[in-house]
Order: sequence, then structure tokens, then C-alpha cells
Amino acid sequence: MIEKIITLLFLLGSSLYLFFAQHLTFGTLGSPKSGFLPNLAGSAAVLLSLVLVFKQIRSKKTASNEKVDWTKFIFIIIGFVFYITILSNIGYLPATFIFLFYLLKVTDTSGWRNPLLIAVVSSFMCYLVFERYLAVPLP
Amino acid sequence: MEVVSLLLQGFSISILPANLLACVTGVLIGTLVGVLPGIDTISAIALLLPFSYGLESTPALIMFAGIYYGSKYGGSTTSILMNVPGEAASVVTCLDGYPMAQRGRAGAALTVSAIGSFVAGTIGIIGLTLLAPPLAQAALAFGPPEYFSIALVGLAVLSKLTGTSTLKSLLMATTGIMLGTVGMDSLSGISRFTFGVDELDRGFDLSILAMGIFGIGEIITVMTEPHTRMSVPTIRLRDLYPTKEEWRRSTAPMVRGGIIGFLVGLLPGPAATISSFVSYAAEKRCSKNPAEFGCGAIEGVAGPESANNAAISATMIPLLSLGLPFCGATAILLSGFMLHGIIPGPALITQQPELFWGLIASMYIGNVLLLVINLPLIGVFVQLLKTPFYILMPLVAVVTLTGAYSVNNSVFDLVWVIIFGVLGFLLRRAGFEPAPLVIGLVLGPELERGLAQGLIISNGDIWTLISRPISATILAVGAMIMLYNTARWFGKMQNNRKQGSC
Repeated sequence: MIEKIITLLFLLGSSLYLFFAQHLTFGTLGSPKSGFLPNLAGSAAVLLSLVLVFKQIRSKKTASNEKVDWTKFIFIIIGFVFYITILSNIGYLPATFIFLFYLLKVTDTSGWRNPLLIAVVSSFMCYLVFERYLAVPLP
Repeated sequence: MEVVSLLLQGFSISILPANLLACVTGVLIGTLVGVLPGIDTISAIALLLPFSYGLESTPALIMFAGIYYGSKYGGSTTSILMNVPGEAASVVTCLDGYPMAQRGRAGAALTVSAIGSFVAGTIGIIGLTLLAPPLAQAALAFGPPEYFSIALVGLAVLSKLTGTSTLKSLLMATTGIMLGTVGMDSLSGISRFTFGVDELDRGFDLSILAMGIFGIGEIITVMTEPHTRMSVPTIRLRDLYPTKEEWRRSTAPMVRGGIIGFLVGLLPGPAATISSFVSYAAEKRCSKNPAEFGCGAIEGVAGPESANNAAISATMIPLLSLGLPFCGATAILLSGFMLHGIIPGPALITQQPELFWGLIASMYIGNVLLLVINLPLIGVFVQLLKTPFYILMPLVAVVTLTGAYSVNNSVFDLVWVIIFGVLGFLLRRAGFEPAPLVIGLVLGPELERGLAQGLIISNGDIWTLISRPISATILAVGAMIMLYNTARWFGKMQNNRKQGSC
């Protein structure tokens, strides 16, 4: 199912790309302009996606049988989005500590003391390495 | 003789303390990456890009190269001990390595694998030393049509060799080309597909895309998969000695593997993985007891493990002499080069010989280091395999995001890293291999520049583009490989149909 959805998204994306590529000047063979390659690449992508969609409709095979914990996936994405949102507001050290502690709990690290300890030590180590050693101006 | 003196000069650079330390760090990290199943070479280099900011360009490149070839040394450990390949190139090692471990010969298999990797790695580096400079010299005569031909052939051939569906690989490569057109057009100066977002004017940063699609994508994949704790056998130093018979049977496969690996490594595609399979097939054909293969034949460990190491050195040839990556890992290596303002290609060898030869010499040193540190430290690596992934992955995620932020000190980049990470995860779930996308992104601008400039020079005459001697040769080689692959595909289809009708 996911294979079909992704292929359809490819078809949609490449169609949109081709639509916007039409707004660029194509030029001629002797003088290609900025829209030359985008039009060619966009057309190729639309064609390839279409062939793939038809092939998948006819085929009964599925791409992967491995199990995925989709609930965990959603919680991980929420964590990432939350981290980006709070990073500039509360600063690197507290934001990284909260994010790391959250991820450790999402990935089923048992107890409270160990995840807390790992989160404190690791966020501080990251801060030291990037801010002090690599001189990166962290938020 | 000139090569020898330049190489000696390279050694004098690579033994400087900072460069030597970078080499040790690189090969150690590479081995760890190879040992730990779940993190592949491409992801590891992508994840570690930010750690090179504090380094000078020479040690940084030495470290990246060390991670690259070091990962192939470590890959066999889990294949032999746990029947779980540390990375794709070691899949075939499971076939005979694990049965050897079950018979109590794990130590011998690990030793043969390490020595084979060393022998073949050295063959590969000698080939790289001898071939890269003349190829770069020849590439000085290349014009836009030749670069267009190389990029086109690279993309076309690569799509057939990624191991997944050709259609999917072609679609991914085309998507990479499309992503490569986002931003300021270098020929006309016009912004394309930026939709008024100023940050997109500089296009998609290769390192950001790599960290997202490979780094975060891999982290999400590992974190959302169910994991069971695996039992790892204990290996003692005295278990590592192969018997005389095992030595005798391993020597020829090591050399054969080295040569096969080097030749396969020159072709576009995941050379390390393909070469290990080709070598396994060759050893089975050469063996007097082919029935033993799959039940613990030492040739089945020595050949493939040697081949994948030689292939790694060969994949560096197009990258260093032409500036064109022919596989996912070298595409990420290229982004590491570019982070430090180094553009690989003919100019690198002629204008920055100390950097080029320092890098080559460091590969000789790294290869010896890997042999010296790998066997005594095998116990430590085995202990590392017991580290739970649910602790490791959140830590890697934080390091990656911090590293991605530090590329341009921009939270905007983090948004892209996460978008690409989710995309990478979903693509893997749907059976789309992300490597052709990155190669499309790297080769796309080269393809556009070559095509546009070539057409302008030839006044729109496409025949000129394809009839220049070098360009025509490159295209002919590409066409032959494509024809061969198509014929094989037809053969396979017919076989499937016959089996279906039976």
C-alpha cells in the first residue's frame, strides 16, 4: 500500500514540477535556457511514475513485509517538530535535554533515573563538543 | 618513478600527528559502523560530516576516507558471529561465515576476513595510485560534451545496478536531477523553483540532504523496527589462528577477490556489494568442492571479504580523478570534500598534490592500522554489539540535528533535515533505494552544464555532442553495459514465464 501511495506522490510531485518548469524559458537546441533540463527531467519523471503506477496496479507483490511501529513513528516525528519549535525559544541545552529524554522514553528505555541521567550527560557533552570544541554558535 | 616520489611526499604528509590521528579515528569509526548492524557507511559519513568542521581539510578528508574503507573491515564481524550482515557488502559473508562460527571456527573466519581485506585493500590502493593520476591527466582534455556523456552514462548504468527495481532507481535519479535544479541557475542566474523562499536560492545543500535522507531516515527506520536482543559469542585471542589448511585455501581467493573487486569497483553502482557476490560466484566455480559452499567453506569468506575492500579503493578513482561519484557512499564523500571547499577532479591532483597524495598515502597506513587494531580489538567490538539500539539511536539523532544546525547555523536547515529524514524512511519502506537520488542531485548539475554548454558550442548539433572521440567511447561503453543488462533482463523474464507456465 505504502509503495502505491509513494509512487502516486511521485506522480503528483513530478507533474507539479513539470507544470512550474513550463513557466521557465526552454530556449532552443542551439541556445538552451533555464527551462531546458527541468522540462526534460520533469517529463521523464512523469513518464516513469506513470509506468510505475500501472506496473504496481497490475502487480500483487508488496515491497516490504517488515513490521513498523507506526505509533512510535508518529511520536518520533512529534518529538522532532517539538525540538525545532523550542530550540530557538528556550536554548540548546534545555531543548536538547527535553528532546533526548522524550526520545529515550518513546524508544522504551525503562525506568526514569537512567533516561534522565543519559539525557543530562549527553546533552551537556553535545553542548561542550559543538559549542566549545567546534565553536558552533548554538541557540 | 615520479609516482613513487609523489607517494613518498604523501607519506610525509600523512604521518603528521594531526593526519595520523584523523586516520586512526576514521578507521576506528568505520570499523564500528561496519560492526553495528543498522547503521550503514553512507549514513555514518553523513552523520559525521559536522565533526570535521574543526579540522583542516587534509585530516578531514583522511578521516572520511578512513570511515569509508574501515566500514568494510567491520562489516564481516556480525555476518560471521550472528548471521546478521553489518552492511550490504557483507551479506554474502553470512553464507559461509556463520556456518564456520557454528563449527567453532569463528575466530579463523574473522582472521581470514581481516587479512583478505588487507591484501585486497592494498591491491585496490595500488591500482588507485597508478590509475587515478593518468586518468585525471586525460580528463584535463575533457570538455562539456565528455562530462555530459560521463554523467549520462553514470546515471543510466547506475540505475540498473542498485539492486532494486530499475524503474524505481531511474525515478529516484530523475528526482535527484529535479532537486538539483532548485535554486539559482548557474548559467542564466535565474532562480528556479524557489517560490520566493530566499534560503532556497543556494539550492539543496548536499550535506543537509544526506544527513536527512540517510542519517535521520536510518534512525527512524531503526527506532520503529522491533528489536530482539541477540546472543553474541565470546571470541578469545587464541581462537583467531587459522589452521595451515585454512591458510592454504584462503590465499588464492584473497588475490582473486582483490582483482575482481578492483575491476567491479570501476563501474558505476554499489560496487562493494556487487563485487562480493561476483567473487563468491567465482570462488564457487573455481572450487574443487562447490557443494561445501553454504556450509562453511573458507573460500566463501576470503573471496567476498577481499573483493569488497578492493572495490572501495576503485570507487575512489572516478571521484578523485573526474570529480564524479559513481556510488552513494562516494557521493556523500564528495559532500564532505565540498564542505571543506575541495572540488575533486583533475585540478585536485595537479593543483593540490599534497592533499591528493597525502590522502592516498593515508589509505596505505589506514589499511595496515585496520589489520593491527581489528584483530586484538575484536572482543571490544563484540561487547559493543550488546549496546541497546533504543539508547544509541536517540543519541545519534541529537548529534545529527546539532551537526545539521551547525552547517549554516540555521534552524531552517533542521526543517529540511527532518523532511528529508521522513522522506528517506518512507522511501525505504516503499522499496525505493535513496542512493540514486543523491547521485542524481550530484550529477544533475554536471549533466545540465555539459549539455547546455555542449549544445551552445556545437550550435545545437547533438551529433557533435556524441561523436567526439572520448565522448563517443564513453557513450559506447555505457550503451554496451545497458544492452548487456537489458539482454539479461529479457532472459530472466523469459525464464520466469517458463516457470510460470510449468
